[in-house]
Amino acid sequence: MDIATLVIVGLVIAVALTFDFTNGFHDTANAMATSIATGALKPKTAVIAAGTLNLIGAFLSTEVAKTISGGLINEEAVSIGAEFILAGLIGAILWNLITWLVGLPSSSSHALFGGLVGAVIVGAGVQGVNFGVVITKILIPALVSPVVAGLAAFIACKLIFAIVRKMDESKVIDGFRHGQTITACLVALSHGTNDAQKTMGIITLTLISTGLQASGTGPQLWVVAVCGFAIALGTYMGGWRVIRTLGKGLTEITTPQGFAAEAASATTILVSSHLGFALSTTQVCSGSIIGSGLGKKGNKVSWATAGRMLIAWLITFPCAGAIGAIACAITKFGLYGTVGVFIAFVVLAFVIFRLSRRNPVTAHNVNDGKEVKLNPVAAHPMAAGRAA
Amino acid sequence: MDVVMSFVAVLAVAVAVAGAIGLLYASGLRLWAAGALDSSGNAHLGYRIVSVLCFSACAVIVLFALWLMIPAFH
Repeated sequence: MDIATLVIVGLVIAVALTFDFTNGFHDTANAMATSIATGALKPKTAVIAAGTLNLIGAFLSTEVAKTISGGLINEEAVSIGAEFILAGLIGAILWNLITWLVGLPSSSSHALFGGLVGAVIVGAGVQGVNFGVVITKILIPALVSPVVAGLAAFIACKLIFAIVRKMDESKVIDGFRHGQTITACLVALSHGTNDAQKTMGIITLTLISTGLQASGTGPQLWVVAVCGFAIALGTYMGGWRVIRTLGKGLTEITTPQGFAAEAASATTILVSSHLGFALSTTQVCSGSIIGSGLGKKGNKVSWATAGRMLIAWLITFPCAGAIGAIACAITKFGLYGTVGVFIAFVVLAFVIFRLSRRNPVTAHNVNDGKEVKLNPVAAHPMAAGRAA
Repeated sequence: MDVVMSFVAVLAVAVAVAGAIGLLYASGLRLWAAGALDSSGNAHLGYRIVSVLCFSACAVIVLFALWLMIPAFH
C-alpha cells in the first residue's frame, strides 16, 4: 500500500471519529433537553447519563449498515472511494458545527448523506445519486416524522393532564420527574445503538476497500471502542446551545409534558426502525416537544423557532452536500488537495468554535435564556452604555 | 403507497403506545395518591394495588423497548 492511501485512510478515520463526536454533542439535546429544562436532571448529571448510555449502546449493537449511503448513492455504479467519504464527512461536520453555533437541531444522518451525495455528484456525476431515494428517505421523513411524534406526544399529554388534573401539582411534577428520567434514558440508549454504528460502518468499509480488512467481516473491536467513546465524549460535552433551543426555546415544558415527549420520541424511533425505515432522532424529538407544548392548555409554542428549525432540516441535506462537493472538488488535486481540504476544515472548525465563545452556552447558563444569540446585545459597548 | 402506509402504521402504533404509557403512568400516580391514608386513618389498599399494577405495566413496556433495542435478544 502506498503512502498516499495510508494518509487518506488515516485522515478518514480521524474525520469519521470527529463526525461521531459532533453527532454525539449535537444530539445530546434530543434525549436530555426536556429533562434539563424541567429540572428532572441536573445538566451535568443528564449529559453523564446520556454519554454513558450512548457508550453502552455502541457496544450493544454493532450491526452496521451494509452500504455507507443507505441506498442514496448507486453504489453498484459508483465506487465510494476514501476521498468521497472524507469530503462527505467534512461537509457533515461543518454543517453540524454551523447549526450548533446558531443553536438549531439538525439531523446528523441527513448531513452525512448530504455531504456524501454532494461529493459523489462532483466526483462521479449526477448518475451516481438515486434522487427517488433522496425524496423518500430524506425529504418526506423530514416533513412527516415531527408530525407523527408530535401527534403521539400531544395525545399522551392530553391523557395525562385529564387524569392528574385533580391532583396536587407538586406531587404530579415530582411523580413525572422519575418517569421522565427513564424515558429520556431510553431515547439516549436508542441513540447509542443507532448512531455510533454509522461511523463504525464508514471506518470498516474504508478499511475493507483499501485491503486493510477482509471483505465481509464486521467492525473490529478497536473500531467499536473508539466509535463508542467518540460519541459518548461528544454527548458528555453537551451541545448546550441546541439543548437551550429544544428545552426552552420551543415551549415552556413541565415534567408531565417532558415525560409525554420522551415517551412519544422513544416509541416513534423504535417503531419506525423496526418497520424498516429509521426516522431522524432530531426531527422526532423536536416534533414531540412541540406536541407536548400544544398538549397543555394555555401553553404557547414559539412557531418562529419551530419555523427556523424546519428550514434548518430542509436545507441540511443540500447545504452539507454543497460543502461536501467543494471538498471533493479540491481532493481531485491529489494528496496535496486532500491534505489542503483537511487543513481548511480544521481552520473553519476553529473559527466556528471561536465565534461560539462570543456568547457561550454552558451547563451553568443553559436554562437562563430561550435563544442562542451570536452577538449578545449586552456585550456590545454601545448597548452596554445605553443600558447603563 | 408503501411509504404512506408505513407512516400511517408508525403513526398508529406511536400514538397508541405513547398514549398507553401516559395513561398508565398518570393513572398509577393518581391511584397511588388516592390510596394514601385519609382523615379517618384508613388506607385504600385496592387503589394502591391497582397503582402498582399500572406502574408494573409501564415497566413491562420499558423492558419490551429494551428487548427491541438490543439485537442480542432477538
